[in-house]
Amino acid sequence: MKDKLQKLKSEALAVIKAIKDDAGLVDLENRLLGRKAGELTELMKGLKDLSDEEKRTVGQLANEVKKEIEEELAVKKNELWEKNSSGELEKETVDISQPALPSQECGHFHPNSIVQKDLEDFFVSMGFKILDGPELESDYYNFAAVNIPADHPARDMQDTFYIKDHSDWVMRTHTSSVQVRAMQKYGAPLRMIVPGKCFRNESTDARHEHTFYQLEGVVVDKNITLAHMKGVLEAVAKHLYGSETKVRLRPKFYPFVEPGVNGEVTCFLCGGKGCRVCKYTGWMEIFGAGMIHPNVLKEGNIDSMKYQGFAFGFGLTRLVMLKYNIDDIRFLESGDLRFIKQF
Amino acid sequence: MRISFNWLKKHVNLSSSITAEEVAEKLKLSTVEVENVESQGKDLENIVVGKIVSAEKHPQADKLKLCQVDAGEKLQIVCGGSNVREGMLVALAKIGAKVKWHGEGELVELKLTTIRGVESYGMICGATEIGLSGMFPPKDEKEIIDLSEKVKEKTIGKPLAEALGLNDTIFEIDNKSLSNRPDLWGHYGLAREVAALLGKALNDYKIKPIKSSKNEIDLKVEVKDTKLCPRYMAVAISGIKITESPDWMRQSLIAAGLRPINNIVDITNYLMLDLGQPMHAFDAKKLTNIIVRQAEKGEKMILLDDVKVNLSEADLVIADSEKPLALAGIMGGETSGIDETTDTIIFESANFNAATIRKSSVRLGLRTDSSARFEKSLDPIVCETALQKAVEFTLEFCHGATISSRLIDVANFTVAGGPLEVDKNIFTKKLGVEIPEKDIKNILERLGFEIKDKSRVWMVKIPSWRASKEISIVEDLVEEVARIYGYDNIQSATPLFPMIPPEENDIRKLEHLFRTILVRNLAYDEVYNYAFVSREQKEKFGDDGEYVELDNPISKEKPLLRRSLVPNMLENAAKNIEYFSPVKILEIGKVFWPDFNGPRTKEKSDELLPRQDVWLSAVCADKKNEIPFTVARRTIEVIMNELNLPVTIKKLPSTKLWMHPTRSGEVVIGEKTLGFIYEVNPVTAKKFGLDIRVGILEINLNEMAEIVAGSKIKTYEKLSEFPEVLRDLAFTVAKKIEHEKIAEDLSGIDKLIKKIELFDVYEGEHIQKDKKSMAYRLTFTNPEKTLNSAEVDKVMEQVVVLLHKKYQAEIRA
Repeated sequence: MKDKLQKLKSEALAVIKAIKDDAGLVDLENRLLGRKAGELTELMKGLKDLSDEEKRTVGQLANEVKKEIEEELAVKKNELWEKNSSGELEKETVDISQPALPSQECGHFHPNSIVQKDLEDFFVSMGFKILDGPELESDYYNFAAVNIPADHPARDMQDTFYIKDHSDWVMRTHTSSVQVRAMQKYGAPLRMIVPGKCFRNESTDARHEHTFYQLEGVVVDKNITLAHMKGVLEAVAKHLYGSETKVRLRPKFYPFVEPGVNGEVTCFLCGGKGCRVCKYTGWMEIFGAGMIHPNVLKEGNIDSMKYQGFAFGFGLTRLVMLKYNIDDIRFLESGDLRFIKQF
Repeated sequence: MRISFNWLKKHVNLSSSITAEEVAEKLKLSTVEVENVESQGKDLENIVVGKIVSAEKHPQADKLKLCQVDAGEKLQIVCGGSNVREGMLVALAKIGAKVKWHGEGELVELKLTTIRGVESYGMICGATEIGLSGMFPPKDEKEIIDLSEKVKEKTIGKPLAEALGLNDTIFEIDNKSLSNRPDLWGHYGLAREVAALLGKALNDYKIKPIKSSKNEIDLKVEVKDTKLCPRYMAVAISGIKITESPDWMRQSLIAAGLRPINNIVDITNYLMLDLGQPMHAFDAKKLTNIIVRQAEKGEKMILLDDVKVNLSEADLVIADSEKPLALAGIMGGETSGIDETTDTIIFESANFNAATIRKSSVRLGLRTDSSARFEKSLDPIVCETALQKAVEFTLEFCHGATISSRLIDVANFTVAGGPLEVDKNIFTKKLGVEIPEKDIKNILERLGFEIKDKSRVWMVKIPSWRASKEISIVEDLVEEVARIYGYDNIQSATPLFPMIPPEENDIRKLEHLFRTILVRNLAYDEVYNYAFVSREQKEKFGDDGEYVELDNPISKEKPLLRRSLVPNMLENAAKNIEYFSPVKILEIGKVFWPDFNGPRTKEKSDELLPRQDVWLSAVCADKKNEIPFTVARRTIEVIMNELNLPVTIKKLPSTKLWMHPTRSGEVVIGEKTLGFIYEVNPVTAKKFGLDIRVGILEINLNEMAEIVAGSKIKTYEKLSEFPEVLRDLAFTVAKKIEHEKIAEDLSGIDKLIKKIELFDVYEGEHIQKDKKSMAYRLTFTNPEKTLNSAEVDKVMEQVVVLLHKKYQAEIRA
């Protein structure tokens, strides 16, 4: 019986090797291992006629043969599946260029929100507080508190929306209106930014809007210098326009700072060589900045003999327009979704 | 302002190797904005001096002449000039030159043309055609420039710019960048700055004292308010002949952009451009005396150029006893000015209060070269320099002219020249860079400051031309040093701070959170709108609350400050629904409520601004959704889920006009109303051009931030050791029965009921018309033991009984 088993095994393995398709494999499996009339099954039925000793040794052999055949069948089966499936998969093509349907609805941020959030995160990472203030502001906080007295020509530069029946209320013309509010509330030292909406009474066209966004920053401590201001402006410029960006300061008058400067950055488009965007100067005027005027610190109840600091501001709206190459400012507050859905 | 480089060079010795561009660049980096640097002859290329050899009638045209012109080469030119004649020296534009046709429009390049059958190799130019009308004011449109008196024959064929000495370079300076520098409104002041920037010597301004020997004219000057007029100087000169001023002066004026008028006016204009001091010349015959006073209310006068003005008490006039003669510091009067017959003049050189001049010029809409200077706060010392120079020029230009009155000087001013006590360390302390003391001293002295050394401090005297306005504190000196030292030479540094995280802005955090949820999870698009609304919008919306109104709106269209974000968003929805459906938009912004108290107008002041809370509004208009209330409802649920706050939607005590009466509710957390969800009343929606339903969510983020700040973190709940039992129950009830009531009642039945979830509501087929089917899933649990089904059945029986008794519910299968 042992010989028979060995013979069956070697024959079976040879046949398995030669099998070419699934059907043949199934037939063979039935022929060998079929429960009723499988060749191996039949052979094993003879076990019961053997002595106990033989039963054990032959039985063991029979099991080994069975296991080996089963393993070979499984290997063959897998071999055939792999062989077949490559052909089957050919038939399963999908149009990979077709978008997923139905399409997933998705919303869009206003571009100003995107730029503002990015800058807020950037300043928070440097320890700045994010503040806000009233948009309908008192004449005092908007002008007088930041060293713009009633007769100051600086008021010429800002055409202001005034409020009916309240001659000392205005729509804030700049975010600098929050400077003294913040100083009064938090004192020194102080690090804060104010991104926010501002208003100027000018008629709108592609380049001018009566409503726009600014970002104001203030740093006050005992030993804050103009060199620090330059350092912070450089950090902002590099954050916005890349690590190669340079900052240039030029004198400019703002009543609330002394010295006052405007900060230019190398043009992000041409890298300083000169192009249409920078009007062929290589520089783009981005910041207004300076060392905070002692009168402003005084209004904020900060001792200007002990503390000093700098303030800076820039047009968020302008940054947004530069970033996304928007050529008409009026889109920003048009509520036109054909515009918004691009962001 | 136009600054002539040649003029600057009269006052400061610049070596010829320094170019105008270099000077402009220095000025840009340290002083003012130079917008443009332009050489005068730039547009005169290919334009040469020509001599008309012959001028004959054009064979085909009566009004044209056929000229043979010597321009170094012989050229045939067709010319229509009214004054063209043989032997005349003219400005000849050759082919390739750029001219303005008839003095209008863009420059056009000349080409060979054929005019009525005759070829013309260029053009004989009129003054406006080549931008020289300042130098050659044309008498009629067809007049051509006659150079015969201006240039010599030997210049024939030479470039016109060279022949006319147009070798100047002009700096175009942005006036705004000069607003704080009264001393830079003239060439001498700018020369002083250039001298300081380049370390060159500034020439002294040479003047001669005014010697009045005769007193033919008894000049009387009275200044009513010396605050408004701190200095008034005047002197009369007789024996004047009104003629042209000398070429050099005319050329200087033209270079600086002013048209020469006559010798006297040119002198005053020249000195304004040179010293920054506006002056005026009266015809002495036309006035009796001089009074500087405030105008009377309703007083009228006619100014030069026939400008009529109605004056008020805020305006300052120069008058005699009878009539106003001039609007002080702004413009002369028509009746007192000089004309060709004038033989005696009175020069005025005065100083006026800056704010007064500014206000008058703004109110009257008269911005002149004079008012632009006075409103910057001029140095009263310069009045005298200017007057002395004016007299000197007049006596030089008009032979036989003599000073014929005493010199008037009504002076009531002080120069706030300090000295300032300046700690020598302040420069390093403010700038963060070590600048050697001697360099600091040198910079300040070059700018005209006088410095006395006192061990640790300097006593710095401010020159009068810087003391009238902008230099008054030590920080001003720091700026002077910084800008001349050069901002480029200051190395940037990083401030050091203790590592304390910044206090968070709770409202802003919510803004970003909600914006992100709505955009990312719920597919809203974010819009920004103006803070303004129109009266029409207010009417349509039907909000009877108080509105803040602008005093000077851009257009009459939107004069009110919004009380809600919704009216502008409804307009957005109406516009966008043409292109998109659904339109789902959100806006975050401030609204203005004058009937509620907001921030203080000033520290310790009792006056309060209107309340200005930040609101979030979400609007949904969907052509396919007839109950967009559900969209608003889902929006608030998603938000609250994120915040983990228990929100309820309650019926409003009374709905607003713009809300759907039965599809509106308030968003309540605890006792606090935070906002509203509703559908817009279809009547209101229609007024906004929306004939579909619109769902709205409005939340007050100021209020919400407070709730969030006070809320506790929801902590972990122990998982039950024993299995939960779920039972579903569906029943029909009348439509008006509300979920909230049912849920409340069921939760009170037994403490084994842990959770009540409504998972389906159905109306329609198979259900009676006035009924709805509701399906609930109840979760049962007992923390102490495993529930058996009999216990649950018992509770379920109670549930059914209650539903039946209280709500007449019929249990479905």
